[in-house]
Amino acid sequence: MEAALWTEKYRPKTLDEIQDQEEIVARLREFIKNATMPHCLFAGPPGTGKTTAALCLAHDLFGRRFQDVFMELNASDERGIDVIRTTVKEFARMASLSAVPFKILVLDEADNMTGDAQHALRRTMEKYTDTCRFVLCCNYSGRIIEPIQSRCALFRFTPLPEEKILDYLGDIAKKEGLKISPDGLKSIVEVSEGDLRKGINTLQAASSLSRSISEEAVYQVVGRAKPTDVQAMLNHAIKGDFIKAREELRALLVKYGISGSEIVRQLHSEVFRLAIPERRRVSLIEAIGETDFRLAQGGDEEVQLSALLAKLAAETSSQKGSIETHVRTLDREA
Amino acid sequence: MSEPWTVKHRPKTTQEIAGNKLAIDKLKQWLDSWNKGKPTKAAVLLYGSPGVGKTVVSETVARERGWDLVEINASDKRSGEILSKIAGLASTQSTLVGNGKLILLDEVDGINLREDHGAVAAILQVTRESRFPIILTANDPWDSKIRPLREACLLIELKPIGLRDGLVLLKSLLSKERVTADEEALRMLIEKNRGDMRSTTNDLQVLARPGKTLGTSQVEWLSWRDRTESIFDALRVVFNSKTAASARRATNMSDVDHEMLFQWIFENAPYQITDPKEFGEAMEALSRADLFYARIRKTQSWHLLSYALDLMTAGVAVAKRTPSKGWVAMKFPQRISAMSRTRGKRELRKGLGKALGSKCHLSSRRAAGLYLPVIEFIHEHDGKAYEKVADWLDLREPLDDLFSQEEYNP
Repeated sequence: MEAALWTEKYRPKTLDEIQDQEEIVARLREFIKNATMPHCLFAGPPGTGKTTAALCLAHDLFGRRFQDVFMELNASDERGIDVIRTTVKEFARMASLSAVPFKILVLDEADNMTGDAQHALRRTMEKYTDTCRFVLCCNYSGRIIEPIQSRCALFRFTPLPEEKILDYLGDIAKKEGLKISPDGLKSIVEVSEGDLRKGINTLQAASSLSRSISEEAVYQVVGRAKPTDVQAMLNHAIKGDFIKAREELRALLVKYGISGSEIVRQLHSEVFRLAIPERRRVSLIEAIGETDFRLAQGGDEEVQLSALLAKLAAETSSQKGSIETHVRTLDREA
Repeated sequence: MSEPWTVKHRPKTTQEIAGNKLAIDKLKQWLDSWNKGKPTKAAVLLYGSPGVGKTVVSETVARERGWDLVEINASDKRSGEILSKIAGLASTQSTLVGNGKLILLDEVDGINLREDHGAVAAILQVTRESRFPIILTANDPWDSKIRPLREACLLIELKPIGLRDGLVLLKSLLSKERVTADEEALRMLIEKNRGDMRSTTNDLQVLARPGKTLGTSQVEWLSWRDRTESIFDALRVVFNSKTAASARRATNMSDVDHEMLFQWIFENAPYQITDPKEFGEAMEALSRADLFYARIRKTQSWHLLSYALDLMTAGVAVAKRTPSKGWVAMKFPQRISAMSRTRGKRELRKGLGKALGSKCHLSSRRAAGLYLPVIEFIHEHDGKAYEKVADWLDLREPLDDLFSQEEYNP
């Protein structure tokens, strides 16, 4: 059955179908030409084609039937050390029976693996290099332990430039028989922020409103698909209403199931749109960064983000205080 | 409320008993077989967890046949001698009016071997000699003490009542009592009591107020009924202590574990500390306590726990310098209640995320976050396109389920 989600339907099957990340694709082609490759680390933001490149690489290396020699695991779901010790090891140690002398194991979201699991993985990678090559995909290469990084060829995937996203989306619209206004297309490209998955999802959602897609349709989708309550939450905090801000936060975490790090990311980009003094923008960024760090340390999402909101609320009050003091001094002088 | 609802609403016929239809039918068949003479298994061991209706079932089957019920239960003295005397009488003599009899030996797994010396042997003897059917009940039929009984009996299990049957039952009970309740609250009650209808009914009677709708919040309070007092004391210490030393006493004051105490402090801090600056400091202390928890989890260094505890109690206490004005009610941690309320939905999302993730090469969490809003949008605006997507994913039913839950949309 043909894929009904367009991100899957239009996912490139071969390296030739990938129209961006040209340098990376060129280097991967070399691997195929020589029928060999090192362990690889694909790093980059979401929706830039890391998993797709890994799948295409396997396809081009092994041909269409690559199930036996290819395995894809998601480290966020199976990040325990046990999976590394059992599933991964089982797969890696058995020699490939195909013409290509090694198998490929893709580990998605590898930066979500625990440190222990990464160390276990490192040994497995080393021991079974002859029979299996690993492709680790991650958002931040820095979250992968040094010993693994040094065993991998690093590929940095960059956010897709606007014209590439434009090309891809225009192509899909044509194939799906959609009419899309230039403004509509442009607005999807804007909200995509270099993330093609996001762009395609927005396009597909918008197509459920009408076969001809306008700018309004896109904004209607975005308003829902990406809950902008982050903004509301931030505004409550900045106005000093912590309790309301925490309610919004809970809705985001529990109702929408948005992850803490995603909220941090959105907060970060909101900072530049807020109507606040420039100096405060910078202190805000530091506070957000600190929260991000604490989350990375394993802090609880609700507790850490609440503490951030409380901090914002407290700063507001102290600034209000300083303004008032200022006014009072003036009064006295008058 | 003159009598307990468990008595007032006790089923009078097997028809009124919700659930366990097959088990009851099996019991009835066995009782009917006595018409053709004593069956090979002279007794039934009716087993199941507390409150599943073992006694009620026995009562109703006897009543429906117009039989007398001769009952001996755990609260009666049960030494082998007395037991065999009573049961022997019951099994050999007919009653004056010539009614049939059903002998019920309740809670046989509660036999205390030292005190009820010879009880098991006595029961076995009674079953051998009895001219009347005997029902034994037990919570745990696999208890080694009663193994000889288990071998002599026909085993019938009664299962805890399911959510659906339980809801029907509670609703009819409430309508008789003219009380209204949120379905969600009833759901929580049944889950909390694990299908034990007796304790569910007791809870319901405690909570129900005529003219008021029973909501989820009351159920939450109920499950904390016994523990809230001590936690309030601990919270008062945290929010009113002037010194670090006195604040950290709070950790030893309540029965709840320290992570729960953390949730209580976290929930109530914004209401108890009104100065924004002080509150910011208190939250910083909680944030740092949380980081210690993270380190403990990561490295299993439990010796770090005392720092987490000090930060969450003393850290919060010293942040608060302005005393509270007047009395502010303590709030139940939303985190805990939200977790229990949205459990079903979260499970559903998790399952969907997993299926989506494997189709779209993503982790379950990210797949749920990225695709469910898109699919929901399509669901709302283009039924046909939605069906196509849902069918391709092979997730039609769970997706329908998720989107039909009203609370899903704000």
